[in-house]
Amino acid sequence: MSVTKMNITLDGSNKALSLDNDKIAIEVKNWNLYYGDKQALMNVNMQVPENRVTAFIGPSGCGKSTLLRCFNRMNDLIDIVSVEGEMTLHGDDMYDKQMDVSALRRRVGMVFQKPNPFPKSIYENVCYGLRLLGIKDKALLDEAVEWALKSAGLWEEVKDRLDDNALAMSGGQQQRLCIARAIAIKPDVLLLDEPTSALDPISTLAIEELIFELKKDFTILIVTHNMQQAARVSDYTAFMYMGELIEYSSTDNLFTNPSVKRTEDYITGRYG
Amino acid sequence: MKEWLNKGEHWIWLSASTVSISVVLVLSLLAMISYKGLAHFWPHPVYEFNISGPNIETTRVMGELHESKNKVVVEKSGTKTLIPQYLIKMGNRDVFGIDFKWVSSKNVQGKMETLAKDAVVIERYEYGNVYGHFSSFTLNGKTTTDPKQIRTELQAQVAKGKALHAAINSIEKYDMGTVNKQIENLRFEEKKLRIKGNFTPADESRIKAERAEFQKTFVAYQVEVKVLYDQKETLGEVALTISNGQILRVPVAKVVQFWQPNNMSYVEKLGFFFSAIGHFISDDPREANTEGGIFPAMIGTIVMVLLMTVFVTPMGVVAAIYMREYAKDGVVLRLVRISINNLAGVPSIVFGIFGLGFFVYIIGGSIDELFYGYALPSPTFGTPGLLWASLTMALLTLPVVIVSTEEGLSRIPMALREGGLALGATKAETIWKIVLPMATPAIMTGLILAIARAAGEVAPLMLVGVVKLAPELPIDTMAPFIHLENKFMHLGFHIYDVGFQSPNVEAAQPLVYATSLLLVIIIVSLNLGAISIRNRLREKYKALEG
Repeated sequence: MSVTKMNITLDGSNKALSLDNDKIAIEVKNWNLYYGDKQALMNVNMQVPENRVTAFIGPSGCGKSTLLRCFNRMNDLIDIVSVEGEMTLHGDDMYDKQMDVSALRRRVGMVFQKPNPFPKSIYENVCYGLRLLGIKDKALLDEAVEWALKSAGLWEEVKDRLDDNALAMSGGQQQRLCIARAIAIKPDVLLLDEPTSALDPISTLAIEELIFELKKDFTILIVTHNMQQAARVSDYTAFMYMGELIEYSSTDNLFTNPSVKRTEDYITGRYG
Repeated sequence: MKEWLNKGEHWIWLSASTVSISVVLVLSLLAMISYKGLAHFWPHPVYEFNISGPNIETTRVMGELHESKNKVVVEKSGTKTLIPQYLIKMGNRDVFGIDFKWVSSKNVQGKMETLAKDAVVIERYEYGNVYGHFSSFTLNGKTTTDPKQIRTELQAQVAKGKALHAAINSIEKYDMGTVNKQIENLRFEEKKLRIKGNFTPADESRIKAERAEFQKTFVAYQVEVKVLYDQKETLGEVALTISNGQILRVPVAKVVQFWQPNNMSYVEKLGFFFSAIGHFISDDPREANTEGGIFPAMIGTIVMVLLMTVFVTPMGVVAAIYMREYAKDGVVLRLVRISINNLAGVPSIVFGIFGLGFFVYIIGGSIDELFYGYALPSPTFGTPGLLWASLTMALLTLPVVIVSTEEGLSRIPMALREGGLALGATKAETIWKIVLPMATPAIMTGLILAIARAAGEVAPLMLVGVVKLAPELPIDTMAPFIHLENKFMHLGFHIYDVGFQSPNVEAAQPLVYATSLLLVIIIVSLNLGAISIRNRLREKYKALEG
């Protein structure tokens, strides 16, 4: 097991982009995850800065999605998964026995690889989370739906057909609707699991622009197969390989000056 | 040839022919029961002809041709000859003792198919049909002999008789029934108070007064009915000459309807046909179920099936949710699944026995002891009835609903559940608000299968609540509107009863077909209802499955 270093070199030209300068939203310490007997994440240590976009890259099966799903305890759904280590969200232990998983998931929203709107109207999709919270006030819901759809850049396209079935929208619209649905309950953190892999280039661009806008309000973690995308949208990038966090630093630093050979090999395309 | 085999064409032909055979079989089944069943309602022509008996004497026969078949006679020379045999419905059971008679064409003098001129058929409340010719009509001492006039007068009087019959029926069944129930309730009230031990003289006098009041009402109704009955007696009397020359007198009070099939035009016959079907559907059965309608059996079937749906849906769906969403996969779950699948293969009579033993005697008996102790020893729920029949049927169809619901649940993409959970929904919220609504088409499929099975089942029902003739409908206008403890009639059992338990086999036969046809129609329409709901739901969630 290699020692994972927090290899953040202070870059004079980009002083803001340093974990020392940023407030930390999520802290991961000595994190291990097992699928039954098989270890999928090995001793991961990292800090996720607040109101930044942090990207996870790495070859398929490296554990980046698995790690992402640890942040809202989605792995709890799989019976055979067991974890050890410490993970805190703004100082709260996320895996504390007393932790209400539903409350945690309200603080850490998630958007999945394939758009998964509910077979309901656009309006009902967006206010689903709010209704779960027991909000019934129509004015309040209307306001929240409008805000979420505007934030997701979808308002202009759908404001006249909020009662239409969400499944009738295009793939890109559906994905932005899923983002709107996730941010409607105002989480602290937004997890994006390859949000554009099922979309065409134009929709991808729209989502990327959206991510740029959203980081003002949310801490964003994104898993992507697409290195250009990671370079375009993220402030920090983590490179993972075989369940280990190989290198984690500011995006500029990682792409221009990788400190580990394996990272360099991967970003220059020497891995299959 | 080899190339043809290699292409697999023979398999295509084989499967196509199997499909065609199935389709042909289903269609011919429907065609046969429709033809045999519907033919019963058509006004058949009445024939009249002479047959010679064994001692050269001649008998005149009048009636409808019911069935004909060929008898094969092999002579010594080896030649085969076919001799047509006719089954003639002669009616006049009170005179002849039998309704039907086989006649060999060898004995028929002249042509069998000779239409009887101006023949009259009278359907009576008792003793079946009368076949004959108008002879006279007597009303208030005045006698008419002109057939045309008889016809007009009889028509008017029969209409009056019908109105009176309906009025009497309504008073006897509803008004007097209600009073009877109230008197019964008083009796129970008294018994209840006696059991409690605080039956005071004040109570006694109050109940006595109330009972007297009810009895007074009852007597008043009796008087009213008596008046109507007397009126019915004065409707007159029609006399017919029947085939043996005898004059048969029929009081109008006994006439259901009459018609002259040989004088009817095609349009009139068509009208008669539809009104006969209407009567069949809306009337109560008569004469040990071999005549009249099947209205109570139809209502019984529908109510039982709907009630079964109400019981089986929540049970099946909740069980399926537990097995699919909550239970940990393992040996136990697999065993439970195997058991459920096997439960679907258990003979239905076994369910009937279980229903009788468990629901009726154990549960029903306990309910009686706990809540209806005052009515004992006559049982309320401790006897076969609608509730137990529906529950037994629910149990019988439970596996179907569980299996199809489980399949439906397993088809809902994981991504949607995750979407719900990621928004902070608990597992239960995700299941109830997202997963289950999307599984409704599959649940409906289960229900469609359950309905088809339950509506067609007979054997277990005989043990848990179906009777040959139920005095009351399971639903009526008296609170609580649906009487779960009542026994009820059922089309499936009705078919069995009419077909196999009837004293008058030939008369019952067309009713068996007609009832079968109706049963099929009811099952098909219940299913079509469920299918149309399912299709609407599928449409709603269609985009997701693509």
